[in-house]
Order: sequence, then C-alpha cells, then structure tokens
Amino acid sequence: MPGPLTALVAATSLALAAWALWFVVRDRAVILRQLWGGAVVVGLLVVQAVVAGVLLAQGAASPDAALFWGYVLTQLILLPLAAAWAFAERTRWSSVVLLGAALTVAFLELRLVQIWAA
Amino acid sequence: MSAAPSGRRDERPASTATGPGRALVAVYGIFALAASARAGYQIATKLDEAPLAYGLSALSALVYVLATVALAGGGGRWRTVAWLAVGIELVGVLAVGTLSVLDAGDFPDETVWSAFGQGYGYVPLVLPFLGLAWLWRTRAGTGPAAA
Repeated sequence: MPGPLTALVAATSLALAAWALWFVVRDRAVILRQLWGGAVVVGLLVVQAVVAGVLLAQGAASPDAALFWGYVLTQLILLPLAAAWAFAERTRWSSVVLLGAALTVAFLELRLVQIWAA
Repeated sequence: MSAAPSGRRDERPASTATGPGRALVAVYGIFALAASARAGYQIATKLDEAPLAYGLSALSALVYVLATVALAGGGGRWRTVAWLAVGIELVGVLAVGTLSVLDAGDFPDETVWSAFGQGYGYVPLVLPFLGLAWLWRTRAGTGPAAA
C-alpha cells in the first residue's frame, strides 16, 4: 500500500485520539466537530480500501485476503460506533470511547501495513 | 424530583452500562470483535496445527462477547453473568499467560491471552481488573442516590 496514504491515515487517527484525550482531561463530552474529524478519517479509510482493492486486483501484493479485509472492515466500523456512543453518553466517557476507537484504528493501520508486506 | 442528601446511598445497584461503564463496554466490545475474528480465522484455516491454542482463542472470544453483552445489559441478572464472565476472563488471562511463558510448545501461535496479552499492549491483563472494580463499585448499596 502507498506509504503516504497509510501515514496519513495513522496521523489523522492519532490526531483525533489526541483531541479526544484532551477532552477526557477537560472532562468534556464528544462534540460534533470531533465527529466531522472522525468522518475525515473514515473517508481516508474508504479511499485506502479502494486503492488497496485496485492494487490487489493488479496483483501488486498477495496478503492473506480474509485477514486483510477483516482488518479493513473493523477499521471502518469503529469510528461510526464511537459516534453513536457519543450521542448516547453525554459525559467525558464518550470522549474515552472516541479515544479508544481512534487509537484502535491507528493500531490496526500498523497491522494492515504488516499484513500487506507479509 | 427531590435531590437526595449527599450522604444518602441508593439501596439498588447502579447500572453497569452508563458513565464509565460505557467506556468499559466499548473496550470489551473491541476485544470481543478482535478475539472472535482471530479465533474464527484460526479455526477456519489451521485448527489442526495447534488445537489447544485455537480452542483457548475461541474460549477467550466467547468470554469477551459474554462480558460485553452482560455489562451492556446494565444490571439485574446480567450482573451475575458479568461477574462470571469477567472472573473467567481474569483466570484465563493469568493461566494462559503463565502457561504460554513457561511452555511455548503448547502455544505455537498467539491467542489474545498469550504472554498476558503482550500483543495487545497488555490491555487483556488490565481489563478484567477494571471490570471487577466496576462491578464492585456499582453493586447494591454503594451507588450515588440519584441517577
């Protein structure tokens, strides 16, 4: 997978995690602007999935397909779930959930790169 | 709605699913997903390579799913299920963690609990303690008087 794209995904999700952490410290619930930030990350993840699909179709790499797409799907659903949580829980704990989701997306990105190269 | 004096305590147990509980349920949910996916993949592709490790993988997945659902259930009978699931989780991560360190032969491939959850930033080791602490804090007679 293109290095700049995976780096961008990792950087934006970590930035979102930092933003959420700041809100945890300040004892604030998730705000709508953070959800837009999450939407940007999900948008990049969709782009990444399409790029990966095209590259795989061209035979650029041969990662374990079930493993690879499993990680891609998990990455895609985490932030929307955290967003749903943010509407249900209007306390700092929604920020904790967003923090966890954003960190998990970044961690899965690292695993994706490893699986792709394997 | 009259606010209760700060000294008063509610006799009923508090919900396990709101406030900090929601964050806990979220983390449990992620682990339920991760462990299920891992176990499903291992069992579907290479069960005969390490049946014990993959069986334990499936067990850990089941425990995480059960704990997630029980904690999200909020209370009542789910509380008992949550105590059981989180208790098994604690025993599981300690037992599998110890065994995988002592005898790598039986654990040629990773489970979520291998080496005390090293591959997952040791979160699997910390999680059951958080779960038990949360169940303890929300038990009957200790919650805040007003929800």
